[in-house]
Amino acid sequence: MAGPGGDMQWCFSQVKGAIDDDVAEADIISTVEFNHTGELLATGDKGGRVVIFQQEIENKNLPQFRSEYNVYSTFQSHEPEFDYLKSLEIEEKINKIRWLPQKNAAQFLLSTNDKTIKLWKISERDKRPEGYNLKEEDGRYKDPNSITSLRVPVLIPMDLMVEASPRRVFANAHTYHINSISVNSDEETYLSADDLRINLWNLEITDRSFNIVDIKPANMEELTEVITAAEFHPHQCNTFVYSSSKGTIRLCDMRASALCDKQSKLFEEPEDPSNRSFFSEIISSISDVKFSHNGRYMMTRDYLSVKIWDLNMENRPVETYQVHEYLRSKLCSLYENDCIFDKFECCWNGNDSVVMTGSYNNFFRMFDRGQRRDVTLEASRENSKPMQVLKPRKVCAGGKRKKDEISVDSLDFNKKILHTAWHPQDNIIAVATTNNLYIFQDKVN
Amino acid sequence: MLGRGVKRKWSCLEELEAETLPAAAEKERNGEEGGGDDDGFLVGPSKSDMNHLQQRQLVLGLCMEKLQSYQAGMELSLRRSVLLINTLRQIQEDMQSEGAGTSETLLNHTDSCLLREDMQVTCPGCAEEDGDSLSPPLSPEFPSQEANSLPDQQKSLPAAAINTFSDAVSAMGYLSDLTLDDIFDDIDTSMYETSELPSAWSAGSLWPISVSLWTDEDVKMRPPSHPSAGTLQSCLMDLNELDHIMEILVKS
Repeated sequence: MAGPGGDMQWCFSQVKGAIDDDVAEADIISTVEFNHTGELLATGDKGGRVVIFQQEIENKNLPQFRSEYNVYSTFQSHEPEFDYLKSLEIEEKINKIRWLPQKNAAQFLLSTNDKTIKLWKISERDKRPEGYNLKEEDGRYKDPNSITSLRVPVLIPMDLMVEASPRRVFANAHTYHINSISVNSDEETYLSADDLRINLWNLEITDRSFNIVDIKPANMEELTEVITAAEFHPHQCNTFVYSSSKGTIRLCDMRASALCDKQSKLFEEPEDPSNRSFFSEIISSISDVKFSHNGRYMMTRDYLSVKIWDLNMENRPVETYQVHEYLRSKLCSLYENDCIFDKFECCWNGNDSVVMTGSYNNFFRMFDRGQRRDVTLEASRENSKPMQVLKPRKVCAGGKRKKDEISVDSLDFNKKILHTAWHPQDNIIAVATTNNLYIFQDKVN
Repeated sequence: MLGRGVKRKWSCLEELEAETLPAAAEKERNGEEGGGDDDGFLVGPSKSDMNHLQQRQLVLGLCMEKLQSYQAGMELSLRRSVLLINTLRQIQEDMQSEGAGTSETLLNHTDSCLLREDMQVTCPGCAEEDGDSLSPPLSPEFPSQEANSLPDQQKSLPAAAINTFSDAVSAMGYLSDLTLDDIFDDIDTSMYETSELPSAWSAGSLWPISVSLWTDEDVKMRPPSHPSAGTLQSCLMDLNELDHIMEILVKS
């Protein structure tokens, strides 16, 4: 990792996905997640597929090494379903993937669509048995009369085969659309959150789950707020947070009561009256919440900014970073073309010193908390030569546009980066455009 | 489809329709504000170009449009619906705080305003109230064409919009499944023998309420204002009929 005085220089490493501009809807990437060691990188798409990439490191002993992620496993996680009672389709789009910490040779991940969570086991097979007594090599059964001697089958090496098998299916627990899943630090339970409820599951038990948060009003006409994201604390297995469409975050302690409707802490920043508009509530809606790795802070993403909260201070965030403030005067247009409802995610780097989030025009932003610096980079095919250093981009909000700047009205709002992920230890990032996955690496890794 | 009687002028959408520039031709512009393309590029006047009332009207129109449009077969996003309805409520409060409470009063108020020769958008009566929510008077250079069309909007908006608010809020109270309503409208119910069913169909939007809430076991908590609840319950119990109906729905 670059030292505190070092400047990170991001270089293009790889891009995955189709090249042509005509995007097949099923190929739209809907989630990106590194596993706990960073060796595996999983993506989910709108077609219900999961693709896992594995890191292959060349010359790790050298100070400057290049790592490459290659396809490790691809499988169909969810299929489209039809809810007969409501006469509605249930999308197979993968909303979230979360890895379980590795306990044995196999890898496990949870993947979810709007209604059903599945636990997948990904295992390697590099040996196969040979020398069965009753079967030929091609599987045909031998005539028992032809067998004159017995032998013990032996395991012989074979080409590596990666198999994904569904081990658990957690279904029928959510009336509304699942937006989050989070594995507990106890490695036995996990939570799943939809618009109005949060359920607690045991990874072994699929026919039962505990409802721990329920914000559904008795009269649905009184509904004014929904749950937008939820996450367990990285170390305290009794603590979790959930964010709302009104810009609030509630921290709950499961030891306090079985139903955590009453929060332990409520994090909310008072609204700036000078910024009040018809869109104030919509842009305050939190689209993502992530604890820092050290568990002392949490980060929230709303439409225009990223906020860092100290868990001990509820009345305001300790840091606020503007992602694309130049859009504030364009909110009406963004409301019209529905972009104002886009849900951007955010992520921390391994040591919680830098945070990253996406924006439009295939731009993504990084904020260095310690050095109080930020940078805008672009994921594009034009900047895709191997180890090409990414040039910082600048958006001209108004007035005279300088050379190399791009004006707000030229931004492409169809090219949005909603999902980004940071390797848990190294400066390697995965950035998803609509249907491509870009992998960038810090030059001095 | 817009809310009833809401005309759109100065709308972002109108500029969008007027512009026919190719999308990918020019990636970089020469620092000029305004203008735009279809297909992902920002268009329309910025917030400062539109006064408060114009923007409110535009947002109201868009809000109604978004609430009323849906993709058949796909479930509405609850978050989106909630945010849209909250915006609608905010606009309603804004309008109510500006004038008096009732639509009739608002209508008269606006009428009297517009009779004034200086064509001020806000009359002194309105200006006396909380200034934050009011727009500044129109500048004298404001073209007369726009000024003439404004009265139309101002007159029709309050009456139509206030009424549609309550409609929208109750209709969109997450209880009606628009998709199901739409399908049921087309179905010829004469082939079903039971006398109970036709009344269920005629209840229209009440059917999906029961259907969508049954997994919550919230059926008993429905507001008492729905008279044919009892009939619906017995219909729900008739699983054979349900299977038959679903077959037809799936095939259609």
